[in-house]
This record gives sequence, structure tokens and C-alpha cells, in this order.
Amino acid sequence: MTKRPLEGLRVGDFSWFGAGPIAGNTLAQFGAEVIRVESEAKLDGLRRAHPFAMNPDGTFKDGYNVSGYFNNYNCGKLSLQLNLNVEKGQEIAYRLIEKCDVFLTNFTPRVVEKWNLTYNQLSRVNPRLIAAYAPMQGMEGPHRDFLGFGAVLTPVTGLSEMSGFPNRPPFGIGTNYPDYVVNPGHTVTAILAAVRYRKRTGKGQCIELPQLESVVNTLGTAVPEHLVNGTNPSRNGNRSISASPHGAFRCADDPESIGSVDRWVVIACRSDAEWQAAAKALGHADAATDPKFATFAARKANEDELEALIGSWTAGLKAEEAAATLQAAGVPAGVVQNAQDMLDRDPHMKARGYYRYVDHPEAGREAHDGPAAVLSETPGDVPGPSPLLGEHTMDVCERIIGLNMDEIADLLADGVLV
Amino acid sequence: MVERALEGVRVVEFTDETGSYCGKLLADLGADVIKVEPPGGGRQRNAGPFVTGHDGEPDASLAFWVHNTSKKSVVLDLDSPAGQAKAKQLALSADIVVEDNPVGYLAARGLGYAQLHAEKPSLVYASVTGFGQTGPHATWAYSDIVGQAMGGLMTLAGEMADPPNMIYGHQADISASIHAAQGVMIALLHAEETGQGQQVDVSAQEACSMSQETAMQSWDFQKKNRVRTGELGAIPLRLPGAGTLKTKDGYVLLFIIAPAGEDLPALVDWMREEGMQEDLDEEPYREIISALNMGFLTQIMGDPARAAQVIGHLPHINDVIGRFFESKTAKEAYEEGQHRRLLIGIVSTPADLAENTQLRTRGWYIRFPNPAGDSTVEFPGPPYRLSESPATVQRPPRLGEHTEAILGAL
Repeated sequence: MTKRPLEGLRVGDFSWFGAGPIAGNTLAQFGAEVIRVESEAKLDGLRRAHPFAMNPDGTFKDGYNVSGYFNNYNCGKLSLQLNLNVEKGQEIAYRLIEKCDVFLTNFTPRVVEKWNLTYNQLSRVNPRLIAAYAPMQGMEGPHRDFLGFGAVLTPVTGLSEMSGFPNRPPFGIGTNYPDYVVNPGHTVTAILAAVRYRKRTGKGQCIELPQLESVVNTLGTAVPEHLVNGTNPSRNGNRSISASPHGAFRCADDPESIGSVDRWVVIACRSDAEWQAAAKALGHADAATDPKFATFAARKANEDELEALIGSWTAGLKAEEAAATLQAAGVPAGVVQNAQDMLDRDPHMKARGYYRYVDHPEAGREAHDGPAAVLSETPGDVPGPSPLLGEHTMDVCERIIGLNMDEIADLLADGVLV
Repeated sequence: MVERALEGVRVVEFTDETGSYCGKLLADLGADVIKVEPPGGGRQRNAGPFVTGHDGEPDASLAFWVHNTSKKSVVLDLDSPAGQAKAKQLALSADIVVEDNPVGYLAARGLGYAQLHAEKPSLVYASVTGFGQTGPHATWAYSDIVGQAMGGLMTLAGEMADPPNMIYGHQADISASIHAAQGVMIALLHAEETGQGQQVDVSAQEACSMSQETAMQSWDFQKKNRVRTGELGAIPLRLPGAGTLKTKDGYVLLFIIAPAGEDLPALVDWMREEGMQEDLDEEPYREIISALNMGFLTQIMGDPARAAQVIGHLPHINDVIGRFFESKTAKEAYEEGQHRRLLIGIVSTPADLAENTQLRTRGWYIRFPNPAGDSTVEFPGPPYRLSESPATVQRPPRLGEHTEAILGAL
């Protein structure tokens, strides 16, 4: 096996739920040794969150180790059980952090302070440390202690106001979207930049990723439109200001799409040529030249009618065939895929082997998101199953922290390693 | 002078909508990022919205600005042999190339990975496209909404009565670019250590996958597809202290019944202070309010008689709470509610974000010269704060602003 590119980088992952652990997950996929520090005294809620693995009789498995939600974000990490609510636990945390290159957390500033894990404290323990904090609002400021997680962050960042149809209230986008790529991906980018800086200067540093700032950064032109032009834009469904038609069009139902039989094809025509190609490909060359739709301005002016017309064309088609037909004509199009499509039916996803299947001692065989950046010479991989809670407590205490058996026994007896 | 995190790193990018945010992240961290643009500019330069009064001007596209801060711009015609030769010379002067063209486009112009890698083995070359460099759909036409659809995001967003919803802000492009930035950084560290460059292949479709949340495992474990559940969510019932509520001037999202912060009685305390609790202190409402949280809901699901009784009273409680929030601005409801440790989020409009107390107090917005005029403009700051090697946001370049200087120095 080739050496993976981040081998030798040790990460103390003191995070929980989504945004923090996914950052650790990416580092682990590329070879970092990631020690997930967790405790039954403040259990990561994802360990007890659906979806759970199933028993052969159709019942859910139970316990701390069978949530697919948790397991997907913690592959190949080592799990150290450590109670940070007690002083001894904090001492052990310091001894671990001394041996780490990177510290990672997304706990709120209040918890970070309660556990004595501020950058001021940690940089005294390990001056070369790269310490990354990813709280919702920031480590400072009048809103730093505001409550929240993904479900509340999404509206605060503007994503809810800007997404969805204008005749609906801004109820959001169906998931805690910023937790999964935007925040962890920004965190990893900053950590790796700090790794380079440290290689060149020898200096560690503090990284703060206020999730609010991180997400507003990716909110398209919405805020700049206000800052520069003084307007206050809002959501506009699936339409685009630079493409038409641009949306999702209903196709024939597919009973084999389990519990999700309604099928849709998205189409984006960014030029008159793409529109004409789309109309012809769907068998309506007459509409391609209809003056009502001939130019971008005309299509925007008649967009309701245009969308209804295209919907009438696609209604009887199989979504996959509609997409393939449009693609053959060079038109950006695709099926609104569900997870069944992504995992089992999309030939392209299969051919690229994005999902990795790993045997987990309690959950069984489970799918994992693979690395989304495919490196040709030093590829990442899912390095192994997600750890059982506390699975590596002894190993980490002994091998990494350097505790002897008597010390470990005392810590166990004192309820520190729980 | 502070050393930047990416000091001394040169990036040459041949990007438009999909890969340009990757280059922005690298540029804001201090890399010397040179964007090679076609004469007249690409799709992003020519897409709105524009600075008011500058419609259609390539230097005034806000869509371009947001993903191209801190870069330099060189115009080259890649369809001419002279342009191709210059582009190749420029790319070979770089540590990193980032591109997002259709598969084969750059190779046909002598600028593909294999060609450049052969001449410069340490080069990191990232291709950020809709479907990646391999597989049966590699050559499919791509636009952001196609990535969001094929990547599983849209199926989870919206009301069942509507078409699935796209997420605002080119999120498939953003996801691809963010994954590319991580991949590029890993490859750069490796190249600087070993001299070995490589290709970084990112598919926007795959980049969206992680954002399916639990949908992927629901299928993997349970052979169930998660579908869009709209305003009410997984429990199709309007619950007091949860959901999107109207205010005097906008909306807030309540999640008071979640196991964080104070519970519903604290909201009623606040309403009482303002004389707006109506009859919520009376039975049967008082008892329901004192018990109502996620645990209680799970519990009564197993007791249909009790559930029916409770559910019958919820609309009235919802109405009283609704009237309270309609008497407040969204900002008042958010800030005062949070000070009372009630889990409330403002549904921020762009103007709310521009005025957000936290962002303003921390000085997050920066100011730079308007590339399309003589004024200066405010703009969002970087996504993270690095204490020793900070990311900084400089104005985006005007089209071809650096052509002469950069080509002249080759």
C-alpha cells in the first residue's frame, strides 16, 4: 500500500455531530491519525440517531455503535472515552494534545471554556498546535453564546430565505446542509493551510471558523447585492437570472423508485442554442422557433407558459430517458436522484466507485461516502469502520499518551475514562 | 510583513462557474492566483446580477466577484495557437492548475493534465467538473442545478406538491470547489515534500453526496428513500415552539422543543411579561406546555387516546404563540429569544445579514475598491480567521487587468 499523504499528522478530534467530525473524517481518509475524544457523559447525539442498522428480522439494532449517521462521519478514527467534565479528564486531554498536531472542536465557546480548551490554554501545552474552533457564531462577539445547530443555522445564514418557491414561507432546504460540506470543507482547507504555514515557519496557530461567516461566504450574490446595490433579493424557486428554462419537470412515475415514485428531470438552457436543442430533442422542433420562446428575454417573459409546455412534454417520459436524450443533444439535464439512485441505480456513480462498503463489527456491512477529491497518486480511502465508543481508550492512553497500566487503572476507577 | 499561508504558491486557473470558488479560497489565503479568461470573459463574467448602472459589463458582475476575489486576470484566446502557447508557458510556471472545462477541452489545446505533467512532474492539476474525468457520464453537459439534482440534494428539499427545490447559491459548484480546495491542499503538501505532482479529480455530483444527510444510510440499511417533507418536516403536524413563524416584518424558525436551552414555559414567561400569554396559563394548555418536548411527543405517540387529546389543543396554542411573534420584528424575536436561551433563529434576508449584530460587531465585512467604478464597496469577509496567517479578501480583478504584466514577465 502506498503511503497516504497525511500520514504522520495526528489530530485530536474533540468535536461532535456533523460539522466537526466530518472535518476529521476527511483528514482520516487521507491518512491522518484521528483520535475522536468522546464521552458517555456528553454523548455525541448522532450515536443515538437514525438511521440504525437492521437485524435480519427487520428490527433496528440498538446501542451506541449502530447509527449510520454517526458511522459515516467517523471512519477509521480511534475512539478515546474521556470525561472532560472532571479535572483529571482535562489533564489527560492536555497530555494528548501535547502529542497532537491538530486540535479540532465545534463545541460552543461556553463548553470550550468550561473544559479549559481555549487556544490560550492549549498553546501553552503545545505551542506548535494548530487548533481549529468551529462554533456556530464565533468564539467572541455579542451572539457567541447563541444556541443552535444545523436546523437553526440554516435560516440564520440566509439559505432559507433565498431557497424555495416565492409563494411558500422560507421553511428551509430539507437538511442541515451547511454541516456536511461547507463548514467541514472550509475547516479542512484552513487546517491544511496552517499545516503548510507551520512547515515553513515552525509556528502553530488558532483557526476560528464561525459557521455563520463560513456559510454566508457561499451565499451567492445575495448579500453583495444588498451591500453594493442596496436591494434585498429573495428566493425564486428553481429559476435562474441567466438561464431559461431552468427547473425541474415532472416525468412518468417509477414504481421501482421505492417510496419516491414521482420522478423529475432538471433542465438548464443557458443559451438560445441550448433551448432549441432541448425542444428538438424532446420532439418539438416547432416550439424551438416559436417567437414566444425564441430569445432569452422572450422565454423569461413567458416562463410560466414555457415551464407548463415542457412539463407536458416530459410527463410521459421516463426521467432517465429524458435526461439521456437531452444530454445527447448537449443540453445540461439530469434526473432528480434519490439515495437509491445514487447507491444502486446510477451507472456513473457505480463506475467511479465513489461509495465504499466497510464491514463494521456491530452495524454490519455499510456504505460510506468516499473521498470526493480523487487524487491520482496519493488517493484517499475509507480507512476502516467507525470506532465503537471507547474502542481505543487503552491503546490511545498507552501508546500515544504514554500512560502506564497503573495510571490507566486509576483513571478507570476514578471514572475519568468514561 | 506577515507571511501568508500560501506564500509563494502560484495557481493558474482555467475556470468559470464550477471551479472558481476553489481558486478564491487559495487566493484569499495568499496564493498568487492567475485566472486565464477568454476574450470578453466567460459565463460568470457575463452573468448578472450586475452593479446597478453597469448592466452587462464584465467588470461589474457580482456573480463573478463573489467567486473571484484576490485573483489576477489574464486574457488569452485558447482557440489560437499563440494563445495556447502562452497559456502553456503560464501553466508551467505554476505550482497548481485548477480547471473546470468539459472533459478533453484543455487536452485538445495542449493544456491537459498528461501534457503538462509530462513537462512538470511536480504540478498539481485539479479538474473540477460536473461528473469527473472518468465514467459513462464524464462528458455530460453540466450546470449547477444538474449537480444538485444528480447529487441527491433536490429530492430532499421542497413541498411534495411542488417540484423538488434547488438550493440557492450554486451549491453544487460550491461543494465541488470546496472539495477541490481540500484535495489541492493535500496534493500541494505532498508535492512540496516529495516533488511528486498529481491530478485531483472532483465531480460535483459526488461532492453533493455527503449533503444527503441520512438519506444515504436510510437506503443502505433500511431500503427506504428519504423524500422532501416541506414546511412541516418528518412529523406532519404543526407543533408549538417549532417551525417557521411569521413576524411583523419577516420570519423566524423556532425549535424550542429540541433538547437544548429553555423549554416552552420560558416562552410563555416572556409572553406574560408583555401581556400576551392569553389563556396559556390555564388548563389544559398549561399542562401541555409544561410537558411539551421531543421526549413527550415520542411518549404520547404510544398512547393514541392521550395523543388525540393533546393534538386537539395544539392549534390554539399555536395561534396564541403565532400572535405573539407577529407582534415582534424578526430581529427582536431572534435576539431577545436567544438572550432568554430559547432556540430561535432569524430567517435572515440579505439585508438582515448585512446588518447582523454579530457580523457587524466582529467587523466581518471588508471594503475594497469597486472594480467597476471609483467608489469603494463593502463585501463579505473570508470564511475563517487564522491567527498567524490570516485569509484576506482583496477586490476581484478587472477583465485582463494583468495580461501585460504577467505575460511580459514570463
